[in-house]
Amino acid sequence: MGNVSKLLNKPLKAFTLYALIILVCSIPVYFLVVDFIWQQELDEHNQIVKERIVENFKLIKTSDEELGKTLVLWNILQPGTKLIKVDENVIKKDSVYTITKASNYTNDAQKDRFRVLESYLKINKKNYFLSVETNVEEADETLLAIAIVTFIFFSLLVVGFVLLNKRISKKIWLPFQNTLEKLKNFDLSTHKSIEFIKTDIEEFEQLNQELSKLILKNISVFDQQKVFLENASHELQTPLAVLKSKIDSLLQSKNLSSDQLDLINQINVPLARASRINKNLLLLSKIENHQFEDKEVINFESVLTDSLTLLEDYIIDKQLSISQSFENNDQLLTNKVLIEVLVNNLLINSIKHTENGGKIVIELKNGILIVKNSGITPLNHEGMFNRFLINSNEPSNSGLGLAIVKEIANRYHWKIAYDFKNQMHQFSVVF
Amino acid sequence: MKILIVEDEEELAKDISNYLSGESYLCEIASTYQQGQEKIALYNYDCILLDLMLPNGADGLNLLENLDHQNNQQGVIIISAKNSLEDKIKGLKIGADDYLAKPFHLAELSARIYSVIRRKQFDHTNLLEHNELTVDLLAKTVKVSGTILMLTKKEYDLLLLFLGNKNKVISKNALAEHLSGDIADMFENQDFVYAHIKNLKRKLTDAGCKPYLKTIYGTGYKWEM
Repeated sequence: MGNVSKLLNKPLKAFTLYALIILVCSIPVYFLVVDFIWQQELDEHNQIVKERIVENFKLIKTSDEELGKTLVLWNILQPGTKLIKVDENVIKKDSVYTITKASNYTNDAQKDRFRVLESYLKINKKNYFLSVETNVEEADETLLAIAIVTFIFFSLLVVGFVLLNKRISKKIWLPFQNTLEKLKNFDLSTHKSIEFIKTDIEEFEQLNQELSKLILKNISVFDQQKVFLENASHELQTPLAVLKSKIDSLLQSKNLSSDQLDLINQINVPLARASRINKNLLLLSKIENHQFEDKEVINFESVLTDSLTLLEDYIIDKQLSISQSFENNDQLLTNKVLIEVLVNNLLINSIKHTENGGKIVIELKNGILIVKNSGITPLNHEGMFNRFLINSNEPSNSGLGLAIVKEIANRYHWKIAYDFKNQMHQFSVVF
Repeated sequence: MKILIVEDEEELAKDISNYLSGESYLCEIASTYQQGQEKIALYNYDCILLDLMLPNGADGLNLLENLDHQNNQQGVIIISAKNSLEDKIKGLKIGADDYLAKPFHLAELSARIYSVIRRKQFDHTNLLEHNELTVDLLAKTVKVSGTILMLTKKEYDLLLLFLGNKNKVISKNALAEHLSGDIADMFENQDFVYAHIKNLKRKLTDAGCKPYLKTIYGTGYKWEM
């Protein structure tokens, strides 16, 4: 079916792609949001640390000297904070920033990110510089975690989509599948309309109704066409009969010149063709209109034997060699006339299209009839069994012989096929 | 001998009538069901040619049903464009002697009439005698001056066709159709007829029969008598 995919798979693909794009876009957004909140929190935290330090220093009233000793200890024991005495003139505004540096406490060369608060305090009316650092999760780690979580959710979404899609397509499309199945089995020539199963889905119900209308219309057009074909060929029989009798009468005239006799002969050829085509059309329309009842038990072998006897003259005339092998005793309940027509047409076809001195092989095995005739190149078998497909401009062709074979085979649900093997055209009927 | 042609196609009826008139037949034409009915009621015919589809939807088969079945001297040949097996069977069942599908060759029709009339009227002594030639229709034997002539079935069939169409030109096509029926229509080449004619001719002359059978240039054959 090439590039054809199921209807529900199309939105599924789109949904999946959309979800992927959104989720991928969400990764940096999540990251920025998380990072922002994180930094806000840490800044608040650093501020609190600073305020506590200031408060605590107010409570413990120590001398400058003691304070200086304590600060030395402080700066050693309290990691992440620094408190240094500074001069009056270096006081600046508080600043907040992020730095990335190698950690002092871990051995590996990994760098850590820190959020830093730098501030200037007054303790005992002296100026001090305070810096508070807090470790922040690294950007890449955050990003990775968010990405992993996002992809887990994305996978869940896709699995969910696929499962839901399956369920929906099974349930919702059921009436559609029913309709499709019925349409596949529909055969215009059986005259039977389709009864669609009722469905509670509006679109499908509408589809079914429109299809029913279309089918009914088609059946009626098809019927009209068949009736037309039958009537037309009936109507043609009479003028053809008159023409034939006129020519026969003309032949009886005295003193016809040889030119005139030639002309009469030349008229006879297309006339014979016209009456042949018309006879075949009439037969076709009769088969189509089911005007043949199946009421006889037929033995294929005897039909073949009879047909060969009937065609004997033409076989001898073209010096064809016939070989036959019959290993079949199937008795079929069919219509004798139709089977005779089928066999005759297949044999006539092979007799007509075999070169003088050629070979015809007839094989009848259980359930299969094969008629082979010698030939040089394979035929174009596309549309070979269609009406009026005339490969060559041979005037003896009515373009209907094989169409009739097909019509009869269709009627009995037999399979017909053409093949070219070992320089032989091969027609087979599987019954 | 009298023939009634019940046929609404005037031209066809005229041709049949003209063709048959040369063979000591007297033809009358009825172109409607009504006319046919009247003529059948008034006169006796040796053979009635009956078209099944008559004007105004009349069915020729009804005419056949109304025939006086007591008088089985009348032969009936159905000539129909329908060529349906059902009609044929039905027609033969209710008293028709033969069925010929349109379009047909006049020679074929003439031969059928000839044979129907023989069958109907000369039930037991069914001998055709033409000078030195004698044909026994029942035994299907042919004698020339008293000696039996061995003919194949096809040669015999051809001979009967010629005897039913004396002094008429019969086309090769008509001969082929006579021998192969519907199948002849399906082939362009009817040359096989030559072989049978050649054999028939040879057998007849070998047995001392006069050369009645003439070849008409490029067209067919004629039995001149």
